[in-house]
Amino acid sequence: MTATDTLTRAIGTPLARIEGREKVTGEARYAYEYQPENVAYAEPVQAHIARGEIRSVDASETLAQPGVIAVIWNENAPKLADGADAELALFQSRRVAYRGQYVAAVVADTQEAAREGQRLLRIDYVEEPHDVVLRENHPKLYTPEKVNPSFPAHMEKGNVEAALASAAASVDVTYRTPAFHNNAMEPHATVALWQDGDLILYDSNQGAPAHRDAIAGVFDLPPERVRVIAPHVGGGFGSKGTPRPQAILAAMAAQMVERPVKVAVTRQQMFAVTGYRTPTIQRMRLGADAEGRLTAISHEVVEQTSTLKEFAEQTATATRVMYAAPNRLTTHQLARLDVPTPSWMRAPGECPGMFALESAMDELAIACGIDPIELRALNDTQVDPEDGETPFSSRDLVGCLREGAERFGWAERDPTPGVRRDGRWLVGTGVASSTYPAYRRAAQASARAEADGSFVVRVGAADIGTGARTALTQIAGDALGTSVDRVRVEIGDSALPKAGVAGGSMGTASWGTAVVRACEALRAKLDDNAELPAEAEADTSEEIEQQKKRARHGFGAQFAEVRVDSDSGEVRVPRLLGVFAVGRIINPRTARSQFIGGMTMGMGMALHEESVMDAAFGDYVNRDLAQYHVPSHADVQSIEAAWLDEEDDELNPMGSKGIGEIGIVGTAAAIANAVHHATGKRVRELPIRLDRLIECA
Amino acid sequence: MQTPASFDYERATSVEGAIASLARLGPEARVIAGGHSLLPMMKLRLAQPEHLIDINDLEAELSYIRDEGGEIAIGALTRHVDLLKSELLAQHFPVFRDAEEVIADPVVRNRGTIGGSLCQADPAEDLSAVCTAVKAKAVIRGTDGQRVVPMDEFHVAPYMTAVNDGELLTEIRLPLFPGAGSAHEKVERRAGDWAIAAASAAVWVDRSTIHDVGIGLSAVGLTTVHLKRAEELLRGKPPSEELFQQAGQVASEDCSPMADGRGPVDYKRHLAGVLTKRALSRATARALKQEA
Ligand SMILES: Cc1cc2nc3c(=O)[nH]c(=O)nc-3n(C[C@H](O)[C@H](O)[C@H](O)COP(=O)(O)OP(=O)(O)OC[C@H]3O[C@@H](n4cnc5c(N)ncnc54)[C@H](O)[C@@H]3O)c2cc1C
Repeated sequence: MTATDTLTRAIGTPLARIEGREKVTGEARYAYEYQPENVAYAEPVQAHIARGEIRSVDASETLAQPGVIAVIWNENAPKLADGADAELALFQSRRVAYRGQYVAAVVADTQEAAREGQRLLRIDYVEEPHDVVLRENHPKLYTPEKVNPSFPAHMEKGNVEAALASAAASVDVTYRTPAFHNNAMEPHATVALWQDGDLILYDSNQGAPAHRDAIAGVFDLPPERVRVIAPHVGGGFGSKGTPRPQAILAAMAAQMVERPVKVAVTRQQMFAVTGYRTPTIQRMRLGADAEGRLTAISHEVVEQTSTLKEFAEQTATATRVMYAAPNRLTTHQLARLDVPTPSWMRAPGECPGMFALESAMDELAIACGIDPIELRALNDTQVDPEDGETPFSSRDLVGCLREGAERFGWAERDPTPGVRRDGRWLVGTGVASSTYPAYRRAAQASARAEADGSFVVRVGAADIGTGARTALTQIAGDALGTSVDRVRVEIGDSALPKAGVAGGSMGTASWGTAVVRACEALRAKLDDNAELPAEAEADTSEEIEQQKKRARHGFGAQFAEVRVDSDSGEVRVPRLLGVFAVGRIINPRTARSQFIGGMTMGMGMALHEESVMDAAFGDYVNRDLAQYHVPSHADVQSIEAAWLDEEDDELNPMGSKGIGEIGIVGTAAAIANAVHHATGKRVRELPIRLDRLIECA
Repeated sequence: MQTPASFDYERATSVEGAIASLARLGPEARVIAGGHSLLPMMKLRLAQPEHLIDINDLEAELSYIRDEGGEIAIGALTRHVDLLKSELLAQHFPVFRDAEEVIADPVVRNRGTIGGSLCQADPAEDLSAVCTAVKAKAVIRGTDGQRVVPMDEFHVAPYMTAVNDGELLTEIRLPLFPGAGSAHEKVERRAGDWAIAAASAAVWVDRSTIHDVGIGLSAVGLTTVHLKRAEELLRGKPPSEELFQQAGQVASEDCSPMADGRGPVDYKRHLAGVLTKRALSRATARALKQEA
C-alpha cells in the first residue's frame, strides 16, 4: 500500500462537491419530489389547545369536499406498537400534549383539496389549564437520571461553596437563552408507499438506517420490511436526526387509503413538531485565586422538556472539559411543561452552555484584571479535569487562542469597556473558546472493485448538505490508493450497509473508519489476486469498543469585533474569526463552509434568533422566517475560519475530528463579550436585542 | 408545503382592459403586480381572491419615471430596482435611493412594484413613508375616469387604501419645488428586513429657513404615520440640530407603535425620535448641498 499512498492523497484537497452540478441544475431529487403513480396527499391538523383532550371530531364538511378521501384521527387510526416514541405515537390517544401537535389528518387527491379539507375539519376540545413558561423556581423542576445521550446530570468534586467563599475574585451571574428552532432550508417531507406489505419511504432525514429502524418499530415491522431512501437532504441541524410525525403520517395514511401518500411539513409546523433547542437558565459561579487560577467552577442549568417524553439537554457538559479547577459542580434540572419535546439542534448542550461559561470567563477576566486569553491559557489542562487523569488525545485550545490573537490583532487591545468611538458607533472586540467532542459510532461499509478498474463504496451514511459524500469519496480514494474519479460512493439508503446518523459531529469519523476498513479488506483481496469484480465488507464495532480511554475533543477560539450605535442600539459585526484545532481537515472547502456556517448560526443566536412563548395561548408565536429572524448574507461582513495542523493518531484512520458543530460553539459569547467591550453593558440574556442595549424606558 | 386556494387568472393586455375586468369581476378580483406581497398572503390563506388580473404585461403603459415639468411621474408598475437606479429620482428625491437600498433584497426588488407597495398598505412599508414625506399624489383610475388622491387620503386603514373595487392605481406624482432635500433612515433587525422603525423626511429650504417639510414614519402605527405636528414645528424656522431634536421628541410622542418580535413600545418610540432627527439632518444637509 505504501507506494500508492503517497501518490494519491485526496484527503486534504479542496475537492468540489460531487453532486454539486446535480444540485444546481435541479436534477438532484429531494424527498418530496418523488412522484409515485396515483399518489395522494395528507395534510396534518394541529391541536388548537396546549393541554386537554379531544371531545369530538366533525369531519362532515371535510369529507364533503371534492377530492377528499379520508380523515384520520384517534377513532379510526390503526394501532401502532406500544412503547413507541410518544412524539411518533400518532393519533393513539385523545390527549393533547402541546399546541400544534398533530391530532388528525386529511387525505385527498390533491394537496389543495387536502389543505381545504384541513381548514374545514371541526375539532371540539376539553381544554385544561396549561403550564408553558420555564422559570428557575418552577415547582416541577427535577433532576433527570442522565442528560443526552448518557451523561450524569449531576457531577460534583471538592467543595465549590467553600472555594467560592475564599476566592480572591469571583463571579456569580445567571445567563438566559431563549428557545431556538432549527429551520433547515428544506422542511421535513416524506413520500410513503406500501408494496406487498413492505414499506418504502422517500424521506428527508439525517440517517436512513436509523430512521428505518425507528419507523419499523412504530409499525411493529421487522426492519428488513422497511426501506428509507434519502439521497439528498436540504439541511437538518439535528431536527432530522430522529423521525418526525410526518413520516409516520405518510406511512399510516398510505396504509389506510391504499395509495402512496405525500406529506410536506410547512415552515409554520416546524415551530411545533420538528424539535427545537430548549430555553435555558444558567447560573454560573467562578472563583479564582489572586493570579487568576480557577479554584471553583459551578454551572447549574435549568431547562425544559415535554410531558410526552424526556429530552434532557447536556448543557453543562462542555464545562466539564474546558478548564482545570479543583472544586467543580455541574447540574441539570428539568421541568416537564405542556410544550413540544425539545431535541437536538446543532451542538445541543455545548452551544448554550458555552455561551454561559465563556461569558462568565470574560466577566472573571475583568474581575481579575487579566487579559481574557491569558485567563484561559492559565487554566488550560492536559487531562480531563473531572477525573484528573484521562489524557486528551490532543488538545490545542491555547494554540487556537494564540494563533487567533495574532491574526485578529489582539495585542493592541485596550481592555477598558465603552471607550472606543467612531462617530456615533462604539467599537469593541471579544473572544471565547469553542469545543466539541470527537466521537465515533460503529458502522458497516462495503467496497467493490469492478472489472473496468472503478470502485463502488457503499455505506448507509447521509449527506445533509455538508459534503459528506465528497469527503467519503476522498477517504475511499486514499484508502484504495486510487484517484477520486474512479470511486463512486453510495449513501442515503437504508438498504446500504448499516451506519449511524449524521449527528454529534461523528458522521465522517464513523462512516470514514468503516470505509477505510472495507477498502483495506478489498485491497488485501486484490493483493491476493482476487478475480474481478471483488468485494469486501467491514464492521467497526469491535475496533471502536477496543479503543483506548482518552478524552477526545476538538477545540477552537472565536474572535468578534462589533460596532454598536450609541443612539439606536444597532449592532454590527464587522469581523468574525474562528481558529480551530480539530485533527486533520479532510476537505478544506467543505470544512470552511461548516465552520463559517456554524459561526453565522452562532451570530444569529447572539443577535437575531428567539422563539417567543405566548403564555396565554401556550405556543411559540413566531412561526416563519419573517418573525424568526436569522442573519442574511449582508449581516455577515468579514468572516474567516482557520485551522491548525493537528496530528492525532488516537482518533480514527483519517486523524479527523468532527467539525459540523464546533463552529457554533462560543460565537455568541465572543459577540456578547465584544458588545460589553464596546458599550460597557453586559447582556446576559440572548438575543442581544437593540432595546436591551438602549435604556429608554 | 404552502399552496393558495384555487383562483382564475387572466393577463391584462391594456390598462383599460384591466380596469374593465376589475369592474366586471367585483370585490373577489385582485390585481397582481410583482406578487411579492399578494402571493405570500394567498399561500398563507390570508387572502383568497377568486380572480387574479396580472398587469405585468403593461410595462409600456405603467412602468416609467419621467420628468413632466413641475412633477415627476412614476408608473404604478415601476419596480423597486428601477427606483433604486433612477438618476432622475436620485437628483430630485434621494430619499428613494436611501429607501430602496434597504428594502428587502435584490430578488424582491427585481419584481416588487411601487404600486404593489402602496396598495398593500402595510404600515411597515418604506415607500409609503417616503411618498408621505415628499407629498406624493396617487392617480387612481376606474371605468369613470381618474382621480388624484394625496397620500394622507390614500391609506385609509391598515391594509386598506383609497383604491376601490374596479379601480387601478396607475401613477404616483411627485411635485417639484426648489430647495428640496430628502432622506430615509431605517433600523431593521437584520439586513433586508422590514423596519423596526423608519423615518422619511423631505425639506424645502428657502433662504436658510425651512419653507416646507414632510415627515413619514414606517412601522410605528396602524398605518404610515404622517408627523403633522412635527412639520408644523419646523415650518418657517431656520434648520438646527436642536430643532431636529425637538422634532424627534414630537415623533416619539406622536407615533403609536405596538410591541412585537422587533421590539417593545418604548424602544420603538425612542427609535422613531432618533431616526426622525437623523432623516431631517440629512435631508437638510442635502438641501443645502452640504452633505458629507
Ligand atoms: C422577503 C421580503 C422582504 C420585504 N422587505 C421589505 C422592506 O424591507 N421594506 C418594504 O417596504 N417592503 C418590503 N417588502 C415588501 C415589498 O416591497 C412588496 O412585497 C412589494 O413591493 C409589493 O409589490 P408587488 O408588485 O409585488 O405587489 P403585489 O404582491 O403584486 O400586490 C400587492 C397588493 O397590491 C395590489 N396592487 C398591486 N398593484 C396594484 C395597482 N397598480 N393598483 C391597485 N392595486 C394594486 C394587489 O392587488 C395586492 O393587493 C418585502 C417583501 C418580501 C417578500
